[in-house]
Formats: sequence, structure tokens, C-alpha cells
Amino acid sequence: MYNLAHRLPYSATAVCFGAIAILAVTYIGLIAVVMSYAALTVEFSQSVRNNGTAVAVLEQQYLATMAHITKTDYSAAGYAAPRAKVFVPAKSATALR
Amino acid sequence: MRAQFRSRIRLILSLIVCAAVVILIRLYFIQIVHGEEYAQKADRQFSSGGSGLFDRGSIYLTRKDSTLISAATLATGFLVAINPQTLTDLEAAYAAIAAVAPSAISHDAFLAAAAKKSRVYIEVARHLSDEKGKELSGRAISGVQVLRERWRYYPGALLAAQSIGTVSYGSGDTLAGRTGLEASYDSQLSRSGDALYKNFFAELFSNVGNLLVSAKDAREGDIVTTIEPEVQTRLENDIAKVNARYSSRESGGIIMDPATGEILALVTYPTYDANNRQTVDPVLLGNPLVEHVHEFGSIMKPLTMTAGLDAGVITPETTYTDTGCITVNAAKICNWDLKARGVIPMKQIIVQSLNLGAAWIATELGQEKFRTYFTTLFGTKTGIDLPSEGRSLIGNLSKPQQIGYDTAAYGQGIAITPAQMIRALGALANGGVMVQPHLVSAIRLKSGIERTLDWNQKTPVFSASAARATAEMMTAVVDEKLENGKAKIPTMSVAAKTGTAQLTDGHGGYYSDHYFHSFVGFFPSYNPRFIILLYTNDPQNVMYASDTLGTTFLDLVHFLIDYYAVPPDRGFATGSSTSPQATTP
Repeated sequence: MYNLAHRLPYSATAVCFGAIAILAVTYIGLIAVVMSYAALTVEFSQSVRNNGTAVAVLEQQYLATMAHITKTDYSAAGYAAPRAKVFVPAKSATALR
Repeated sequence: MRAQFRSRIRLILSLIVCAAVVILIRLYFIQIVHGEEYAQKADRQFSSGGSGLFDRGSIYLTRKDSTLISAATLATGFLVAINPQTLTDLEAAYAAIAAVAPSAISHDAFLAAAAKKSRVYIEVARHLSDEKGKELSGRAISGVQVLRERWRYYPGALLAAQSIGTVSYGSGDTLAGRTGLEASYDSQLSRSGDALYKNFFAELFSNVGNLLVSAKDAREGDIVTTIEPEVQTRLENDIAKVNARYSSRESGGIIMDPATGEILALVTYPTYDANNRQTVDPVLLGNPLVEHVHEFGSIMKPLTMTAGLDAGVITPETTYTDTGCITVNAAKICNWDLKARGVIPMKQIIVQSLNLGAAWIATELGQEKFRTYFTTLFGTKTGIDLPSEGRSLIGNLSKPQQIGYDTAAYGQGIAITPAQMIRALGALANGGVMVQPHLVSAIRLKSGIERTLDWNQKTPVFSASAARATAEMMTAVVDEKLENGKAKIPTMSVAAKTGTAQLTDGHGGYYSDHYFHSFVGFFPSYNPRFIILLYTNDPQNVMYASDTLGTTFLDLVHFLIDYYAVPPDRGFATGSSTSPQATTP
């Protein structure tokens, strides 16, 4: 150790302080990276949620339109019920598939 | 010198170790011990969207083309809260809030809230859209907080509300599924907080394994139901019309695939708007189709008939002498019209809905066999994936009096849930095998994998030949009896049976003028794709189920044939002829 101390251009104390400084900077850097990652993830997450809400609004419109069509009273709208229903025979069940 | 150097090194190392330990301890407390608290704190600030906000999986309906439509999802927006201690200009604050949420809070209520100076947080408006929330936030009014909010949203509102269920606070402060599928699949739908962002340090400290394989990812997901939105909408509309037209106490219906147990539509009326439950009667939140039991009446006769055929005590050609009324254990039971038919074949028991015929089959079967069949059919819960499933009341079949068996044979004296009833009747449409009715087909896990649920529990009850013979009799009901034969579809065989039961008066007897109407049918008769069960409880000024539910059933059959393009199973053209085979007015 004695020899080593004489060979190094810096004192052991300086090396240790240097190491501490590097560790501290690395730690702060890691925190910065993690925080940035977290912020981006949260932003993306919120973006996904917003898109989900927009899709839900479209789905609500689709379901409401479907309900409106189903509830439509055609006779009140001036249409008459058919006088007769005619069933046209098919050649086979598979022919219609 | 050497010793001095060593001691310096040790001192520095100790300092480094101490610093590292302090940092580690601090990190441990911040990120693990108080991690949730800090996360909540961050989330309550404007732009956060992390774990503190309400999160929950979606519930999907499945269209016939396999497109998924949300039945329950999450909406995002903002809530507005005031801090009375820092609120300075009350009128300006109220004007700004009222501009974006006019009906959220009255002026007087706002002033009353602002006067509570001991409080620091009072919510005054909720469920604001993104635009309105950002607009209000942009004004930066002192004492007014605009916070990100997420809430449960049901795009269909009334659509399948009782089946989808509700999310609410229970005794604690946790939002959880309380009714319907929200409750049944709460463990799959609920989210435990980490959302998309994982705290790397916390994961390192606490559960490194979860960074690679998470148990939650294998459990949590969205659920995919078998409910078809257009079929559900159609059935809801039809059931609501029946209920309104006859001023019934309640009405309901189920459409199921008899081969798989997949429920395409499950309707009960009255219902409620899932997005607006403030004024809803809590009784409506349950699901009568699985919780309530009814005496279904004559739709039980096909089951009695099939039991007799399966046991070999009768054949379709067997005849019996119908006297119109009989006395059993001092009780008189009669046909619906009190008339005697004389010697008639089994088919007429179903076609003419003869109570004495059903009672005769029950007598022929004997109590032990009858009990065995009906206990297999109704003695257990269906296992449907909805909470609070009720049990049938079949206690009469444990007593020695024959009257209990005779009345059970035509659907009186025993009470069954609609879910149990369609499961049992589904056996007639499925070669004598009962399947497990269910609403959820798969769970889409967070990992992206879709896990198909296993609903393959099958219960053989009847032989396929006995089920087919009964299906033939039920087909004759539509072809010959319903609407005097005008209901017959020349290109499609449809099997059906009506049921009209007297309602109990609560004192051991029955009302003579209050009825429970039911209707069951399936088609194509000999390879059914759909089974439909309808009922209406206590309809007014009408006596028979064929009047209340017959038209609705036939309309549904035509709708399903068209919607699913069900190919014909009879009435095929011979040779080159494709001229119309039949015309019905």
C-alpha cells in the first residue's frame, strides 16, 4: 500500500472523493432518468386513457344509434306492415352459406 | 505513516458506507414505506395519471362478427375542488366554475361550502371533460383546484345494466364490483395500483421477480362477454314493450346458444341507467333472472314428457284417457279449459297443453324416477357467472303426496329461477344434455394473452331420441297451434311451448286472476342455434301467455334468422322449382 501510494499521481483521499463525486453524479443521473421515464410513461398512460375515453364516446354513439333504430316505430313513421310474407324455398341449406 | 494512512482510508470508507446506508434507508422509506403516499400526492396534482387514480379493467360485448364493444370502461376528465382557506374571490371563483359546469353546484351551496374555513378540500364539480378542465385550470384561480379524475363509464347506459353490474364503495373506501359481472369478475377487473409505470428502485428492493414475471399480469385483465349488443338491444326493447303493454310487475328474457351455454342476451325489466344511479331503487340492482324463483307453468310439460320418454314408461304413440279433471290427495286438478279430451296421444299433451296429461305421465313415472329427473334438472345451481344465484324450491318432490308430483309435472308447486329453467329446457335442444349458462367467454390479460374460460361442464339428463321426440311435439305447437297455424315458417322448424301459471297468494293458495306467463322456444328444431325464454309476471287484463309473449317470440325468431342468416332446415325446392312455398298473412 505504501508503494502504491507513492506510485499514484493522486492521493488516496482525492481518489475516494473522486469516487464519491462520481457515485453522487451517477445517482443523481439515475434519478433524473427514472423521473423522466416516469413522466413519459405517465404522459403516455394518460394519452392511452384519453383515447380510451374517445373510443367509449364513439361506442356510446353506436349503441345509442342502434337503440334508436330498434325502437323506431315504423307504423308511426307512416310505414304499413306487409300484407303477406312470402318464403322462397332454397335448393339446399348449404346453397345459402 | 502507514498506520495513519490506513486509518484515513478506514475513516473515508466508513463515511462512504454511512452515506450509502443513509441514502439507502432514505430511499427505502421514500419509495417503499411511503411510496403509495407519495404516488397519491403526485397523482392528485394536475397532470398526473399514475397509480392513485381509479383504474379498472373493461367489460366488452361481442358483436356477431367478433368486434368488441365496451359495456364498461373508464372515462377520464377532471374534478373541481375548493380550498376555503385560500379562496379569496368567491364570486369570481363561482362564475368560473359555473361557466364550465353549470349544473354542478348552486350559488348558495357554493357559498356554504366556501364558508367552511376549517376545511381545506371540498369537491364542487365532478366528471368535467378534458377541455373544460384544462380551461378552468388555465385560469389559475386561487383556492380552486382542478384535479385529474377517472370514473367508471357504461357506454350502453341501460344496455344489459343488471348483467354488467355496478362498482361502488362498500364498507371501506375501496371502489369494487358490487353486482353483476363487475362483482363476479372483480379480481380480474380490479387493479392494484402500479398501472403502466413501475418504480424501478422499489421493484429492486421489494420484488425483483415481478420485474420479469408478475402474478398480477396473469390474473388482471379485461373480460369479454358473450352478450351480442344488437340482440340484447332488440330483446330489451321487446321486453319493455310487453311490460308496458300489459302493465306487468316485471318481465324478462334470455337468449342462449343451447349447445354451448353462451348467453347472447339477458334482459330484465324494469332496469336502470348504469351511469345515473342516484335515484335507482336498490332492489333493481340485483338480477331477477338468477335470483328470483317462479312457478313457470306449462313450459315444464316438455321436460315431464321427455322424462317419461327417456324412462321408457311412454312412447310418442302412447295414449291416455283425458277426463278433464281428476282428484288427487283430495285436491282437484283440471285442464286449463276444464274440458275432457277422451283417448288421445302424447303429442296432444304438448300441443293442447293438457295438465292431466302431464300429471298422468308423472304418475306413470313414479315418484322416485320423477324426483330423480327433476332433481338433476333443478336440484343444483347453474353455476352461471353472476352473483347471488338463487336455489330452486322443489320441496314438494320430497313429500309422499302424489299431488306435489302431479302439479310439478305441469309447472306448479315448484319454483325455479329463469336461469335454471333455460338450462333445463336447453337439454331438449341439445340432445338431452344440459350445459352451463354463462356470460363471459374469455379474459384478455394485461400481458395481451386471451384466456378462454372453460364452460364445458355438461350434464346428461335425457337420451337424444327422447329429446328429439319432444322437440317434434313442440314444433307442432308452432306449426299447428300458435296463431292457429299462421305462425308456421315454411323454411324453418321452430319448437315452442307456452306457460301460464297462477300466482301464489302468499297464504298457501293461488290467485284465480293473477298469472305468470312464460314462453320457451328454440330453432331450428332439430339442430338449434338459439333457445329463447321469455316471461312476464302478473300481466293485467290478459289470461294466456300465447297472447302476451307469442308475437314477441315470433318476432325475435324472425329477427334472429335474418340477423344471423340462419339457413333453412326444411321446405327446400324440389327440382328446379323455386316458387314461393307458403304465404302467411
